[in-house]
Amino acid sequence: MPEAELERRFDPRIVAFFCNWCTYTAADLAGISRMEYPPGVRIVRLMCSGRVDPQFVLAAFRHGADGVLIGGCHPGDCHYQEGNYKARRRFELLRMLLRDMGIEGERLRLEWISASEGDKVARVCNEMTEQIRALGPLRLRAAPPRAGRPSAREAAGEGAGEPVVEEPVGEAAR
Amino acid sequence: MRADGDGSATQEQPPDGVPKIGVYVCHCGLNIAGKVDVERVVEFAATLPGVTVARDYTFMCSDPGQGLIERDIREGLVNRVVVASCSPLMHEVTFRRATAAGGISPFYFQMASIREHVSWVTDDSEDATAKAKALVAGAVRRVAANELLDRREVPVHPDVLVVGGGIAGIHAALTLAGAGKRVYLVEREPSIGGHMAQFDKTFPTLDCAACILTPKMVQVGQHPSIELLTYSEVEEVSGYVGNFTVKVRRKPRYIDADLCNGCGLCVETCSWRGVPSEFDEGLGTRPVVYMSFPQAVPRLPVIDRAGTSPCTFNCPAGIKAHGYVSLVRGGRYEEAFNLVRQATPLVGSLGYACYAPCEDACSRGRLEGALPIRRLKRFVADTLYGVGPAPAPTPAEPTGKRVAVIGSGPAGLTAAWQLAVRGHQVTIFEAAPEPGGMLRVAIPAYRLPTPIVDADIESVTALGVEIVTSTRVEDLEELRRLGYDAILVATGTHRSVRLGVEGEELPGVLTALDFLRSVKLGEPVDLRGKVVAVVGGGNVAIDAARSALRLAATGVHLVSLEARQEMPAYSWEVDEAVAEGVLLHNSWGVLRFDGEGSVRRVELKRCTAVFDAQGRFNPQYDESVVQDLDCGAVIAAVGMTADAGGFAPPLLTGRAGTIEADPETLQTPLAHVFVAGDVVTGPSTIAQAAGQGRRAAFMIDRYLAGRELDAAEFARVLPAVDAAEVLARPRSPGRREPLAPASRVVAAPSDFAPTEPPLGEEEARSSAERCLDCGVCSECGQCVAVCPTHAVDLQMPEREVELQVGTIIVATGYKPFDAARIPEYGYGRYPNVYTSLEVERLANASGPTQGEIVMRDGRRPGSVGIIHCVGSRDARFNAYCSRVCCMYSLKLAHLIKERSGAEVYNFYIDMRTPGKGYEEFYTRILKEGMHLIRGRVAEVTDWAAVPEEEGKLVVQVEDTLVGAVRRIPLDMVVLAVGLEPQSDAESVRRTFNISCGTEGFFTERHPKLAPVSTFTDGVFLAGACQGPKDIPDSVAQAGAAAAEALVLVDRGAVELEPSTAFIDPAACSGCRTCVGLCPFNAITFDAERGVATVNEVLCKGCGTCVAACPSGAAQQHLFTDAQILAEIEGVLARA
Repeated sequence: MPEAELERRFDPRIVAFFCNWCTYTAADLAGISRMEYPPGVRIVRLMCSGRVDPQFVLAAFRHGADGVLIGGCHPGDCHYQEGNYKARRRFELLRMLLRDMGIEGERLRLEWISASEGDKVARVCNEMTEQIRALGPLRLRAAPPRAGRPSAREAAGEGAGEPVVEEPVGEAAR
Repeated sequence: MRADGDGSATQEQPPDGVPKIGVYVCHCGLNIAGKVDVERVVEFAATLPGVTVARDYTFMCSDPGQGLIERDIREGLVNRVVVASCSPLMHEVTFRRATAAGGISPFYFQMASIREHVSWVTDDSEDATAKAKALVAGAVRRVAANELLDRREVPVHPDVLVVGGGIAGIHAALTLAGAGKRVYLVEREPSIGGHMAQFDKTFPTLDCAACILTPKMVQVGQHPSIELLTYSEVEEVSGYVGNFTVKVRRKPRYIDADLCNGCGLCVETCSWRGVPSEFDEGLGTRPVVYMSFPQAVPRLPVIDRAGTSPCTFNCPAGIKAHGYVSLVRGGRYEEAFNLVRQATPLVGSLGYACYAPCEDACSRGRLEGALPIRRLKRFVADTLYGVGPAPAPTPAEPTGKRVAVIGSGPAGLTAAWQLAVRGHQVTIFEAAPEPGGMLRVAIPAYRLPTPIVDADIESVTALGVEIVTSTRVEDLEELRRLGYDAILVATGTHRSVRLGVEGEELPGVLTALDFLRSVKLGEPVDLRGKVVAVVGGGNVAIDAARSALRLAATGVHLVSLEARQEMPAYSWEVDEAVAEGVLLHNSWGVLRFDGEGSVRRVELKRCTAVFDAQGRFNPQYDESVVQDLDCGAVIAAVGMTADAGGFAPPLLTGRAGTIEADPETLQTPLAHVFVAGDVVTGPSTIAQAAGQGRRAAFMIDRYLAGRELDAAEFARVLPAVDAAEVLARPRSPGRREPLAPASRVVAAPSDFAPTEPPLGEEEARSSAERCLDCGVCSECGQCVAVCPTHAVDLQMPEREVELQVGTIIVATGYKPFDAARIPEYGYGRYPNVYTSLEVERLANASGPTQGEIVMRDGRRPGSVGIIHCVGSRDARFNAYCSRVCCMYSLKLAHLIKERSGAEVYNFYIDMRTPGKGYEEFYTRILKEGMHLIRGRVAEVTDWAAVPEEEGKLVVQVEDTLVGAVRRIPLDMVVLAVGLEPQSDAESVRRTFNISCGTEGFFTERHPKLAPVSTFTDGVFLAGACQGPKDIPDSVAQAGAAAAEALVLVDRGAVELEPSTAFIDPAACSGCRTCVGLCPFNAITFDAERGVATVNEVLCKGCGTCVAACPSGAAQQHLFTDAQILAEIEGVLARA
């Protein structure tokens, strides 16, 4: 199959953590307004962007997401006063960490989208999908389970091991 | 419904063991099924682990749809429920209820949004089906991890807060109060009524707005259950549904609501009636103390104060400078005189000889020049003194207290006056033969004539103050023995500083004080034909030099240590002296005086620096550079010191002989002895000394009353108004030519006649009219004086009140579009272009023209054009339709035609009349013979293309029905401005934690099904703050908001989402990361157990702490890590 066609057939999967008050509502508005965006975007509702645990992002990548989008209220608009600021702090650190792990910064995105910005939801989803499509699929392989005491999350029934970037293995479709 | 209160963190399995998950996929008619292959989703769902039932149905939210869920649970097929349908924001509550109705916990439910997030946003059916499957998989995995939770109920406080007193707020408040609820109605303006009160008639019935509104306003004012807080703003809202704490800032009205009887005398007497009237849209003016409109509720005036005017703020004597300027402007000279005298009796002395810091501060100074504020005071004094003795005020009831004042200079006289006015019996002891201190003996008559000083002193003696002259007091104990309850030492600085150089004792070397005293008292001083050397660079040296000129000295040389620009004298005084012929010798110091029998020569040495690096006086000389100055007399004006030796001990003296005292209270270590004036501060000005006297009197009065001395109380004034802010006010002050500065220079001075000519009445009043009224209120005090109930209190502080309410209705209204933003329509440029709200006022019988439609030039318009959609349906400004403009334009068209007979043109894009009776109204207006032209107006211009357009406003428009560009010449153009969010909508929405759309109107919870709710439970919306709407719609919405509030109030309790955080003490390491993260202080650290705990009542359920917990001990109900991780895995599963 020609390379270009393969490229086109890659539909990135993006997990979108949206806060209940602003961005999730905006996503509903995008729907009500029939604004189209790629089907690879899967929205998970949280009460606040401040609830986004870095583990969620890692778990999303581990389970096959090509990108993670976090959506919260604009600065100063947080329903809980300052959860979005906390989200931003974690986001910056997490992105650095991901880069160290070999995951491109573009795969994690934070956007402030208010309840009335349905169009922005669609725009951001389209943009991000295009960007990730250009980067290509994320390739991870599971690391061997660590020795010693399992982490709380492992105890909670989560998959073992941290994601590790796979060596590129050519252009084979997944 | 589960009602057994298991522990909130229950992790146990449902009663009947393993999860049995029922999946219900909704078609939503074709909304979902038109895109998503529902059957395939059901098939897929059936294969998922734990799923026992998978069904689809046309409308899951319908009764039969919900019945499916209930039945399956009852039959034991299902103990967990997933519904794949619309957004949980839409129907989560519905399906939780259905789940509970089946007999299990409502929280064993999870929703997948396959409409808003799938079918409506996905183009390809295959893609949509795949995504729907993924979301169902996510929900199925997640619901398996759901826990049993308690339901949380909190009580609802029965009181309601309504914010905004327009028609919406009024209606909501009355509805709630009618239901027996207690309502707080907060309004920012002085009166309730909002925009509706400004309207003349209302469409389509043409009934008068005031006639239908004011009865409701009165009802609000009188309703026992409504507490009206006008002129107040909500500052802060905390708490949650049912339990809000609201801080309200109550701006001071300066009129005590409890005392005011609404008589309006204050309004009548106000000295400035030129404030643009907000209520009349600036077409008329109002006084500073005003009621917005005749039917205002509450019937309580307000004093409009922007702060303290800079002139008043900068007066060291505490004179209300702006106040007397305002009174002079109104020709009220006696009132002006009395106002100055409220601070000090030295009206004339200050009018003649003050250095006028007020004028330096005058905002007009930034334009074409400051007002001659001091000369206005002199004008007042001249006027009053010219007609006889000044009127004496009536002192307060005698207090029986006696005060001795030592010294009768500006400080002593002012203090004596102030004390006498307060009813104390005052005796002044003066060492000199005549009272007045420096006013009498030091300030030359060309600056301050002695009769003026006498007249000022008469004010004091007229109050019964006894002045004992030629009596030097040095024994304070003696005065005590004589029965004085308090003593004020105000002896000034009458001792001259010596130069300390050789020859200073030679005859012919005088001190400036001796010289000026002799001259002022008319003692012979012979300088005729002599060359005079004046030593010193201060104001006293200048006074001495100019006095010497007037005594026919042949040459007056002024020797100053300082360079010209460093001289401590006011530079304009130096200029005047030079202009009169004084010769300056700057940067010279005196080496010695020389002469036999009398002084003949001054030897000077070069002064290289006067001040050291720290800015202290420390002259340095270069004695190799010298100069001789031949002279016949020397006047040394090198400083004055206090002469307080006689009082020390017991009083302490400080630097330069001044007496030490608390600088704020002016009290000495002897509690009954106070000091004031130069004897404390060192040499200063008349105004400063008078200010000291006033302060001392205030403190002595408090001391005599046995009250605490409180300097803060004395200095309680509003902050000064910033001149830049004044000049930026909307009605920008035009240039008004000031008086040419009066020359105070006499070409060949030969006598001591005043150098400055007096102001004539015409000049005085036209000068006063240049006042910019920086502080708006001038504090002229007329309202205070006239109020029969003593309700006016210019010291009233701002207050903050705290309210407890359970629910809040936000009804903050709109703001009309600013027509000046469309320059091509010429608003603000062409006087005959009006906004619709301005025309409402013109048409109104209580408006600025008593209901006559006349233009700014007084003409009645023969033709009027109304331009629709100004600022609405215009992508440059607001894309939305403002909904009311078509109808009100038709109404205005009718009113204009009816009142003026003018031809009226409506320029519209589309005529939108979709309301009950609206289309009929449109038809009626058409029949009245209006011109309707369909097309957006391109521009309004005064440029005439043909003679008929001369002197007219020409509206250029493409008539889209005719298909031609037309030019319509008109007399008057009305811009039908749209409705915009209030300019502070952004901060209001943050205060109430509600959201707004991109255009800025507040967002309702659901555009159709929850039109008055917000995303914050317990906060509701009413009226135009939610979007443009007319009066009927606003009222309807207000009723709806009131009903929604009543639901909560009458139920008495609300159920809260159980999504609070909790901490598993077994896993908590006690790191306290979470404690600092919580913005609601809901997490505390239990030091004994070494773990953090969450207060569930305070927790709002954001989950920020959970995300941060390094050990996973913090979790959030409904959003545990396990639940979310399960959902992530599910939505990413490949179906």
